[in-house]
Parts: sequence; structure tokens; C-alpha cells
Amino acid sequence: MSTVGDLSDDEKLGLLQGTLEVLILRSLKLEPNHAYGISQFLQQQSDSEFLVDNGSLYPALQRLLQRKWVAGQWKTSPNGRRARYYSLTPEGRKELLRATSKWERFAIAMAKILAPEG
Amino acid sequence: MRQWWSKIQRALGRRRKLTSELEQEMDAHVHFLIEKNLQQGMTPDEARTAARREFGNMATVQERSYESWQFPQFESLLQDIRYALRGIVKAPTLSLLVILTLAAGIGANTAIFSFVNAVLLRPLPYPSADRLAILWSGLGYSGRAPFSSFEVFQLRQHSTQFDQIAGIWVTNGALPGDGPAEQIKVADVTSNFLPLLCPRPALGRFFGPQDDLENAPSTIILTHGVWVRRFGSDPTIIGRSVRYGRHRSTVVGVLPSDFRLIFPNDASVPPNVEVFESIPVGPWQADGPAFLHVIGRLRNGATFGAAQSEMNSAAAQINKLGGRASMGSFKVSVFPLQADTVREVRPTLLCLFGGVGLVLLIGCANIANLLMARARRRLRETTIRAALGASRGRLARQFLTESLLLGILGSIAALVTGYAAIHVILAARPPSFVNFDRVTLDARVLAFTFVVSLGTSVLFGLAPVFSVRQIDLTRDLRESNRQTTGLRRRWASALVSAEVALAFVLLTSTGLLMRTFINILHTDPGFRSGDVFTFRVSVPGYAPLKLIQQKLGALPRVQSASAVSHLPLDDAGNWYDYYYREGASATEQTSVMADHRSTLPGYFTTIGAVLLEGRDFTDADDAQHQHVAIIDDVLARQLWAGESAIGHKINLSDSPQGFYQFQRDWAVIVGVVHHVQYHSLTAIVRPQIYVSYPLAPRPSMSFVLQTSGSDTGLVAAVRNTVDAVNKDIPITHVEPMQLLVDRAHAESRFASLLATLLSAIALVLATSGIYGVLSYAVAQRTTEIGIRMAIGAPRAQVLRMIFADGFASILPGLLAGFLLCLAVTPLLAHLLYGVEPTNLANYVVMLVGVLVVSALATFLPARRAMKIDPLTALRYE
Repeated sequence: MSTVGDLSDDEKLGLLQGTLEVLILRSLKLEPNHAYGISQFLQQQSDSEFLVDNGSLYPALQRLLQRKWVAGQWKTSPNGRRARYYSLTPEGRKELLRATSKWERFAIAMAKILAPEG
Repeated sequence: MRQWWSKIQRALGRRRKLTSELEQEMDAHVHFLIEKNLQQGMTPDEARTAARREFGNMATVQERSYESWQFPQFESLLQDIRYALRGIVKAPTLSLLVILTLAAGIGANTAIFSFVNAVLLRPLPYPSADRLAILWSGLGYSGRAPFSSFEVFQLRQHSTQFDQIAGIWVTNGALPGDGPAEQIKVADVTSNFLPLLCPRPALGRFFGPQDDLENAPSTIILTHGVWVRRFGSDPTIIGRSVRYGRHRSTVVGVLPSDFRLIFPNDASVPPNVEVFESIPVGPWQADGPAFLHVIGRLRNGATFGAAQSEMNSAAAQINKLGGRASMGSFKVSVFPLQADTVREVRPTLLCLFGGVGLVLLIGCANIANLLMARARRRLRETTIRAALGASRGRLARQFLTESLLLGILGSIAALVTGYAAIHVILAARPPSFVNFDRVTLDARVLAFTFVVSLGTSVLFGLAPVFSVRQIDLTRDLRESNRQTTGLRRRWASALVSAEVALAFVLLTSTGLLMRTFINILHTDPGFRSGDVFTFRVSVPGYAPLKLIQQKLGALPRVQSASAVSHLPLDDAGNWYDYYYREGASATEQTSVMADHRSTLPGYFTTIGAVLLEGRDFTDADDAQHQHVAIIDDVLARQLWAGESAIGHKINLSDSPQGFYQFQRDWAVIVGVVHHVQYHSLTAIVRPQIYVSYPLAPRPSMSFVLQTSGSDTGLVAAVRNTVDAVNKDIPITHVEPMQLLVDRAHAESRFASLLATLLSAIALVLATSGIYGVLSYAVAQRTTEIGIRMAIGAPRAQVLRMIFADGFASILPGLLAGFLLCLAVTPLLAHLLYGVEPTNLANYVVMLVGVLVVSALATFLPARRAMKIDPLTALRYE
């Protein structure tokens, strides 16, 4: 039940706990988007490395709504379909900044340790 | 509750909205996917199928999204409640049985606890009630005696721990105001007494120093009751001079309607005082009579311990000053007023509280058994649900929800029965339970009921939960659900043992209380009550009193008439003092205290008191002739053991000059009479000294009439007789002497009545418990019994088998009950009279009783087992 990808399941990257929510926030940084758009964005940006399972995406969106980091609004899409567009709230923007810096530090630290010696 | 409900509705509404939004959102999502697929060149059909596949399982997405809102816990609770309600409705008999058991068990607990709460826990309704103390003087044998005015003055001088020390003395007096004469209780109080117990008067003022001045005008304060009854709630009463006995007095205050006097029973301060007069306290008359009952208020921050040690040194100081104190070791005891007031009621209440606790435990055991049996019957259903994926925790929670729901229903029923029980008990309460009219279902009682129901629900609710833990899927699905595991049988049998043990403890205790009651009924009060009538009068002096006696004696149905200052078993307004024989040493002079009674000739024959030696008073025994006294056999033995008391001289306090003009005097003993129970039926509190009325005149006396034939018209005849002498003489309490005796029985009757009721409930519960468990066992073993009989087991053997089964749990229960009794019954010692807690006969009777009843409870299911038809039984499976 994954989104379609060219890689076999074993090769794809599973998402670490809590990362999906940060990625959703990032995907909404520039403009509001609907669930389908978010999943397309994540897949494209990660060069289809990340699987975005709807069974994870939707609950994650609900959690973000509950924390008031995103707000939902029903709008008509360019091709004339009504969809719920999610947008970042000011708190969501703050949280994105916080999480981004955390993840950068984490990634650098991981890279330092994993980098080949010499 | 409403708030909670709207929360639920909001949650449910939100869920509906969320559902529709999610559906639309996912729908849009799928359409985006379809459009993408169409763009990639698929046919519409292919595009739709692929999109659905790509999206994944919609139901899962939905389910997980709900979970993020934490609905499920709440919903499963609702589901549990719905399920539990269905379970309760589906088994109405069982549910009703459980609820009724709880209503009885928790209801009894609620009722008794509301008494414990009102009497033992709630502070007295006085300002700074926790700082109020009662003080008792001790001299010689008695440690709970009143104080003289001189002593109260000295206590005040020496006290730093008390900010107030006040005294009260209750006597009989006339109802103030115009209208028919009536005798009432009047209290003489020190001017600081009322402010200690009452924040402010309803009208006017309290007494002040101006009322204590030597030639101050006579002033009185009325209770709310008298103000309403006698003065029609007249708001202008303050400052008015009203008729008061043979004088006039100015009303200076009216007390609020909720003011009550709450004193220990032996303080002779009854709650029905209606008028207060002020009495000054001063350093005069060091050997004056001790009559004031004293209370004090501790200074802020002072402790009872500090107050007691201060009073010890004050007593030592007073010892040096003279008066009666100079004759011996004068002591002062300080107790918290609240604790001292409930001193006598406390053990009764606590025993009853323990008793209802036992009843509730038995009820719990019964319910646990019922629920376990049902859980077992539902085993197949439970097992299937477990097989379908319900977690053990969820199943256990469901059972617990059901128990809690039953508990809640039971406790609602219990509040109703408890409320009714309170009123029944209030109606049956003995007079000694003075504080009992403050009993209500207040917040604390409700909290108690709630906690008890919760506790009991968990207690009996755990039984079926425990059985869930035992589920073994493979075994239980395969096996018939009618087979009983050994474990369940062991549990049921342990519960029956516990019930029998608890019921035995209750029955044994009740047996002791009933024995006590019977003993009290058969005590010899020292007088005859059957044909004696009494009434009280306030008399201006000897001549009219004598005239009334003569006229009453001449009435057709009156055999003899006489009067006494204090009726037997009427403890209010008591009068006692120190007495000593001629030649007594200084210490002995204060070692004997005796009741002091003033009588007319003929008193002993009228009430049937036995004159053991010497003679009764005659009309010639007045102040002008030799001063004489009659004593009871108890005093005679104390002072002149081994010889006749007749002719000896005794030093006493009398007042031949007039009311209250006391002096020490010598009197010659002319008679010895059998002891009369003046205070209680069970205890000899003090010996008695009788003095002829002219030597000890009293403003109020009680007449006793020995009558024959019916009482009709007697009251009118008495009234006419007294009126013929003086229309202004108030008479009250025209009642048979038997009433006083009945009142004295009341406490014991009350205790044994309640205990009998509790035991009856306990016995019914325990019996039905035994019956239930065995009936269930017989039903379970129908097949087995059928087979046994089919292969030739005689019916008697089947009967024996079931009996053995029953008694295997009854006998250990009896043993445990006996051991419990050894620990518990000594706690009853306070309440018993004439019977030891370890009374063997009582044990034997109760043992036989429990055996007979449990044999009966065993016999019914055993007979059913015996009648089992092997053929039917085999087909039954």
C-alpha cells in the first residue's frame, strides 16, 4: 500500500519516527497544498526515495491540525475540484524552523560519524 | 453532569464532521490520482482501478485518523457501558438481587455512618467548638462531680489557659408569662455561659456583669421555643417585666431557634431547658454546695494537656484554701466537651458500624458468587470474543464496567434505603443519643457512600475479572461451558466459608446484646412501677404540699400518695453531696458521696421500696424535733459494715431555714431502705440518703401515687385536687412510673434491636449464599449425579455427597467465625450487662442456630439432586 515507485520496497527509505510531520510542514512552506499535492511534493523532492503511505499521511495531517501547526481550508483546485488545502500557521512556521535546525544538526552529526576516516 | 454530557455530544458531533470531511478529502485525492493516470494515457477504467490501488485502504486511513483524535478510548467506554447495561437488563433477576443486596448492605452503612458523622465526627454546633472543654471535680470516689461557686471563682483566678470558665445548673421552675401554670426546666448560668455556646441572641442581649450585682433586678433569657409558645413571638418582649413563678422578672434576651444544650448525660444538663437565669460567682462560702457543671473555652493556642496540668496545680491551690476541698484531695479533670458528650454513645455506635461493615462484606461475598457464576455461564461467549481478538484487558474492563454500573445502581438504591433507615433509627433512638437530631445525609455521608460503593463494586467486580484471566482458548472452546473447574469451586467454597464466619460473628454479638437486654429487663430497680403514677409540682412550701398529699390520698382509686424530690431513673437536676459518720477522719469525710433526696412520709411503701430496718418518716420528723435520716443499704454497708446503722449519727447538708439555705447538720439514722436505681438500671452510681421534707424543703417535688383499677380520669382528678389547694401550682409530667423504666431500657433495646436486624440480614444473606452456591454446584453436576445414579448409587449417597460438599465450606467458616469472635466480642464488653463476652451458652446456641440454618440451605439443593432422573440428566447434556 505504498505510493508507486521504481525501487523495490527493501531499497526504499522508511521514514524515521516524527520525520513525516516535519516534511509536511516543509512542503507547505511556500504555498498551501492538499493531501495529494503534499504526497506528490514529498515523492518528487526525495527523488522517490521516500514512501508516503496515505495511512501515515492522513493521521499526521490530523495531528498537525490538532497542534494547530497547520490550518485546513476547503478550496477549489485549478482543475475545478474541491479539496482541503493545508497552510502553515505562525506556530507551524516556528516549529518548522525549530525542527529544521534540529534535523540539520542531527544530519551533520550523523555524517561526521559515518564519514570515511582520513 | 450536563456539562459532561454536552462534552460527549460535542465529541460525537466532531467525529461526524471529521468523518464527512475525511471522506471528501480522500475522494478528492483519488480523483487527483485518476486525473494523473488519465494523463499518463490509461483508459478511464484502468485509471480508476490504479488510483484506488495507489491510494491504499481507505478504511485504514480513516481508522488511523480517528485514532489520532483519541476517540477510541472514549467510544470503547461507551460501548462497555452499553454492553454492561444490556447484560444487566438481560438478567433481571440476578441484577435485582445484586442491587437489593447492595441497597441493604450499603444502605445500612450509609445510615449508621450518618450517625457516626453527626455524633462523632461533626463538631458541636458551637463557636470554636474544638476549644470547648468540660471540667469535672473529683473528691473521694467520684471523679465526675460538679463545682461550688467558690471553686469556680478560684478556677478562674488560677487559670491562664482558659479565656472563659462558665457554669450551669439546671433545676425545675415555673414557665414565665401569664396563662396556665406549667413546670419547666430552668438553668442558672454564670453570665459568661451563653456567649460560649451561642454567637449572638436572636433578640436583646446575653447576661452581663450588671446582672450579677447584689441588688440587680431579676432578669431572664428565653429560649426561642418559649418565646413563640408563651409570648406569641412578641418582638417587643425585650425589657418587659413578666410573671415568673411567684415573682416578676425582666426578659433581657431571646435565644436563636437553633440553640441547643448538648452535654454529657451524667452532667444533668438536659437539652429541654427553656429559661435561663444568671447566677453570680464569687469567693464567698468556701464550703458551699457543689452544683455547677462547668465548661471552659481554651485560650487560642492552648492545649487540653496544658489546661489539665494547669488545673492540677489550681486544684492543689484550692486544696489549701478551705471549704470541702480542705477535707481531702480535690481534683479537677479537663476533657474536650465533644469527646465527653459522646463518651457513652461512642462504643454503641462503633459496634453498630462494625456490624454493618460485616453485613456489607457478606453481601459482597454473595454478589461475587453470583457474578462469578454468571461469568462462568458466559464463558463460551467470552471465549469466542477473546478468539475474535478482544484483549484480556478489554474483557476485564467490560466485566468491571458492569460491576461498577451495578454498584452505582445499588448505591442509588442504598441512598434511598439509607435515608429511610435514618428516620426509622431516629424514631427508635434512646434518649441518651442526644445529638442525634442533627443526623442528615450531608456531603461527607454522600462521599462515604460513594467510596463504599466503589470499593464494594471493585471487590465483587474482581471475581468475574479473575475468571477471565483463566480463559484458555483451546480448552474452553472445546469443552462444554457447564463444566466447573476446580478453581472456581474452591473460590465459591471460600466465599461461603467467609460468609458463614462473618454471620457467626454477628449472631454471637447479637446474642450477647440480647442477653444484656433481657438481663436489664429483669434487673430489680428497687421499686415497683406497674401501678405507680407520677407527676411534678412546683410548691410554695410545706403546708400546701402536705395538703395535696392528704387530698390525693383520699381519692377513690389512690391507695397511697407521697412525694420525693427526685424520681428514680429521672437523672436530670440531680442533687448529691458528701456525707460522713460520727468520728470520721478528715479524709473519710470526703470519701462518701450520696444522692440526697427529700421526701414525705409514705414514699417507700408507695413505690414499693423495701424498708429493711427501722422506720419510715412520720409527720413529726420536722426541724423542731430530732433531725433524722433514712439511708439505703449500700451506704449502711459502707459506713457501718457488720452492724446496724440504726441510731448512728450522720453528718449531712440540709436547709431547715428554707430553700437553698444550706448548713451542715447531724441527723440520726432511723431507717435503712433497699437501694433504688435512680440513675440507670445497671449501675449503682451512688448510695442514697433520704431526709424528711421539712428539713430539706425544695421548690419542686414529684408526687408518686399507688393506684388501683384503670387510669382513666386520674389526670383530671389530680389536676382538680391540686387546683383545689392552689390554682397557681404548676403540674407537669403526669405519667406512669413505667415510662421512666421504659426510657431506661431504651438504649439497650435500641442496641439489641439494631443488632438483631443486622444479624437477620446477615443470616438471610449467608443462607442464600450457601443455597446459591450449592444449587449451582448441583446444576453443574447434574450429568455426573445422573451417571452415578444410573450405575446404582443410592439416593442417600447422593444426599450425603451434596451435604459433604456444603459442610466442607460451612464447618471451616464456623471455625474461622469462632476465632474471629474471640477477637471481636471483647470489644462489646462496654455494652454488656450480666453476661461475659465469652459466654459459652451463647456460643452453643448460635452454633446450633447456624448449623440448623445452613443444613436447611444445604438440604434444598441436595433434595433436588436426589430427585434427579438419570435418564433426563444424561439427555440434558
